[in-house]
Amino acid sequence: MAVLSLDRLSKRYGARLAVDSVSFNIEGREVFGLLGPNGSGKSTILRLVTGYLRPTSGTVQVAGLDVARDGRAARRRIGYVPESAPLYGHMRVVEFLGFMGRLRGIMGLALEKAVDAAVDRLALGDVRSVIIERLSYGYRQRVSLAQAILHEPELLVLDEPTNGLDPRQIIELRGLLRRLAEDCAVLVTSHVLAEIERTADRVGILLDGRLLTIEPITREATEPPPPSRLETLFLDLTQAKAIQ
Amino acid sequence: MSVVGALAAKEIRTLFTSPIAYAVIAVFMVLSGYTFTVSLFVTKQATLVHIFFQAAVQLILLVPLITMRQFAEERRTGTLELLLTAPVREIDIVLAKFVACMVVLGVIAFSTLIYAVVLSVYGDPDWGPIYSGYVGLVLLGASLLSVGLTISALTANQIVAAVVSLGLFGVLWSIDTLASLLPQPFENWLLGLSLLARFTPFAVGALYVSDFGFFLTVILLGLFLTVRALARS
Repeated sequence: MAVLSLDRLSKRYGARLAVDSVSFNIEGREVFGLLGPNGSGKSTILRLVTGYLRPTSGTVQVAGLDVARDGRAARRRIGYVPESAPLYGHMRVVEFLGFMGRLRGIMGLALEKAVDAAVDRLALGDVRSVIIERLSYGYRQRVSLAQAILHEPELLVLDEPTNGLDPRQIIELRGLLRRLAEDCAVLVTSHVLAEIERTADRVGILLDGRLLTIEPITREATEPPPPSRLETLFLDLTQAKAIQ
Repeated sequence: MSVVGALAAKEIRTLFTSPIAYAVIAVFMVLSGYTFTVSLFVTKQATLVHIFFQAAVQLILLVPLITMRQFAEERRTGTLELLLTAPVREIDIVLAKFVACMVVLGVIAFSTLIYAVVLSVYGDPDWGPIYSGYVGLVLLGASLLSVGLTISALTANQIVAAVVSLGLFGVLWSIDTLASLLPQPFENWLLGLSLLARFTPFAVGALYVSDFGFFLTVILLGLFLTVRALARS
């Protein structure tokens, strides 16, 4: 059974059709990329998938659950990182993760374990007690990812996760996404072709709300391709600077 | 801790980590302290009627400052999307914010108990109007909070939320003056909506079921409309 199934999904805002009869499935352990120019309907599709918006027509099923009819049960199976990683800036990292865990029904010892596991996985140990508004954007993005994987979702949804990240953070995120995809299906959007090509197994190209095509990306290993020459040079130089 | 409990704890913490709650409480205490002192020395009566009326007017001015950012700020910063895509119901989010705002209102009401204590030590107050005055103050405050939350849920701009709330509260408070210019049955209809007309019996010690019903209706209607404003569209 597909982890995510969209069937003739449409969303209309007044006279404008933001999403036009989009259908696709995502299997487990797959990274599916949605690629399209700004305003092509990528974020709207993610908001329909996560239940933030209701479709005008068509259905979204997550692990067989209809998001419109069984909203809460479906949302329990989704981890979502909205664009620009909105967080509660006045909270400390572990406090925020604990809060998000409680919203997903994780309590007591299980919550502590889930928070520790997410902190370890996203390498947030150094900043676990830091107030979020004092973190760099890269760390904030990691905190946002950590809250999304706290409950071990079957589907991870990320909206433009590389926006605002520096090259080092983008390279780290690529590897992280591939590792996360070992446990769940990943739906990720971007308007940067190279990013999708490096992280996704299949890519859907959107224009004006319509899904034009779905193309597989052939890759020999599950790991992302190695960094380019320029990326390697950047990593070496910034690493040396960081050590100094 | 339940989901509503977790949300309410977060909301209370958020309210009390911002200076707004402290400013509102401090301004309220200074003004009500001034009124209590002056009215006590002028009237020499062991009553809190002046305090209740002034507290009601202060709530109309101060409640918009408490409710303005509740949803507007979450919408502006995008955290509302975080909440609404978690497995929680809209009513849980609304109730949590309402409870948090009621805690601030409770602190405000509690701060005025000192005046009742002073009256009981140095005089022999009639406790009936004092009890009913507190009931009226809490009902009025809860109604204003409920409507303020609705307005906050309709906008992403907290200043707009505050100004619209203030305007609406002002109209509802003083609508009885407009009512007197209208023929029957419009006069009675407008009087029925007047917060001043509904609050006055509580402040002077008269309890009417219709006034309870009015405030409870406003509270429930406000919460319902807030949930509707948040509902996924």
